[in-house]
Amino acid sequence: MPELAAPAGAGVFVPLLGAARLELPLGAVKVSAGFPSPAADYEDRRLDINEYLVRNPVSTFFFAVEGDSMEGAEIFDGDILVVDRSVRPRHGHIVVAFVNGERLVKRLFRRAGRVALVAENPNYPTLDIQEGQELEVWGVVVGKFKRFGA
Amino acid sequence: MSWSENSSGLGRDVPVFALVDCNNFYASCERLFNPKLKDRPVVVLSNNDGCVVARSAEVKALGIPMGVPWFKIQQEAKRYGIVAFSSNYALYADMSNRVVEVLSQFSPNIEVYSIDESFLELSGFEWLCYQSYGAEIRQRVADWLGLAVCVGIGPTKTLAKLANHSAKKNLAGHGGVCDFLTMRPDELTALLAGIPVCEVWGIGRKITAHLEEMGITTALQLREADAETIRTRFSVVVERTVRELRGTSCLELEEVVPDKQQIMCSRSFGALVYERAELEEAVASYIARVAQKLRAQDALAGALQVYIRTNVFKPEVPQYQKALTAPLPEATSDTRILTGWALRILKRIYRPGYGYHKAGVMLLGITPKGLQQFSLFAPSGVASAGSEKLMEALDGINQRYGRGTLRLAAEGVEKGWQMRRGNLSPRYTTDWAGLPIVSAS
Repeated sequence: MPELAAPAGAGVFVPLLGAARLELPLGAVKVSAGFPSPAADYEDRRLDINEYLVRNPVSTFFFAVEGDSMEGAEIFDGDILVVDRSVRPRHGHIVVAFVNGERLVKRLFRRAGRVALVAENPNYPTLDIQEGQELEVWGVVVGKFKRFGA
Repeated sequence: MSWSENSSGLGRDVPVFALVDCNNFYASCERLFNPKLKDRPVVVLSNNDGCVVARSAEVKALGIPMGVPWFKIQQEAKRYGIVAFSSNYALYADMSNRVVEVLSQFSPNIEVYSIDESFLELSGFEWLCYQSYGAEIRQRVADWLGLAVCVGIGPTKTLAKLANHSAKKNLAGHGGVCDFLTMRPDELTALLAGIPVCEVWGIGRKITAHLEEMGITTALQLREADAETIRTRFSVVVERTVRELRGTSCLELEEVVPDKQQIMCSRSFGALVYERAELEEAVASYIARVAQKLRAQDALAGALQVYIRTNVFKPEVPQYQKALTAPLPEATSDTRILTGWALRILKRIYRPGYGYHKAGVMLLGITPKGLQQFSLFAPSGVASAGSEKLMEALDGINQRYGRGTLRLAAEGVEKGWQMRRGNLSPRYTTDWAGLPIVSAS
């Protein structure tokens, strides 16, 4: 299999004409010249949207929204929800919930023995969770985002 | 018995290990994002949707064994409404990484043993109540990730494994946590007497058969067996298991996963492949995968193997298989160079007229980047300085926009050879196009 074997070296050094030159990176040698930047001591890290939206990456998941029942809470069709499972769900939180085999986004109502999932749009009824009915509060919605097609 | 055997009376700490293991991991990952699977029997199938590789608790209860070919259980599947999924490794890998991240909050020393099991070292945490620490681990993984785990705690890895088994099968402990350290010796003895020897870590089918011939059928009998005899009849490895069962820690945590000495990718095709062009596409796409893995561990490959074969399970059709390894003139991790060599090797081994069932590539002679020897005579066809940047960009784009977004034309566009994955769930956590949809209507 001659064309696959590494070229056999005869032990003679042959300079390759037109071989690639090894270029040293500019920063390899530090040379001080001119005045230091007056801003050097004030350098901040650039803002990172992840940091703003995602406090606990390991427990954070994203869901895509379909429908208009949460428009009152500024959650619109096509938004992407930031759901953090490490936040303990409380009365008043917007949550992703699994009910009757469906994934829903609603506001959690839990007061005076009543548990319900409330829409933020008058066209949609409140879903009261009856005793014995299963409700899995999957996680708490802590934010949302959307990318425009520009 | 006591655990003092290891402390040699000098107040040296007894090591403490916890084994944390996800229950029905693959099936649980599927269920986590799919509310329709609640209480339904779920199986996950191997590549090409061949065999059952994971079962939910409901499926286990139906007595459907691991590894059974899917077509053989069609009747049960219909009768009980079993839902089958193709393996969604992107999802399982991401959830596995998340579990490890959560577990890392509980111990600085952790060994990721498999995709769904990790050992934690808790030595020196003696102020802890291990039982409640285990419960806390379990609770946090359940809260944060929605996955159920069992925790087994013991003075050796082998015993931690057995404690985990006991927790999972509800033989001891409570709430999915079992701590052998605080168990009374007579209780532990009684427990081990009820556990078949094949459940002990490292005791495979062959050794089990041999042990049973010797009259050793339970974990307890193995613990009480004569270590000398075990070593001469089997090996030091099995002898070590005996000593670990007695509470002497012989196996340390392997924290650093040794870099892989070879990286391979091979798949069976969904349908037989006859044309070289199609094999080329498959091989090129496997190279893309292994080269990316290679770069992820900051290494270079020194040699490359390609192999192809017909379906060995169909002896009635003409058979052919061939593997060929080529040393590379210069160690590299450049997809383009590796693809070039792979296609050259394929050209050599390809024979027309056969129906190919499987192809694979393997990178060998893997060395960390920076240790490589530049070849004096190697042609610098692709300048290596530009190569690194280009590959970085390639990996970056594929990470952001999904695997295969940017690829060499050699990989092809159609991928007719791709394996069968009939019911693959979306990559819920690693693909923007696969996000779970939540209904606001």
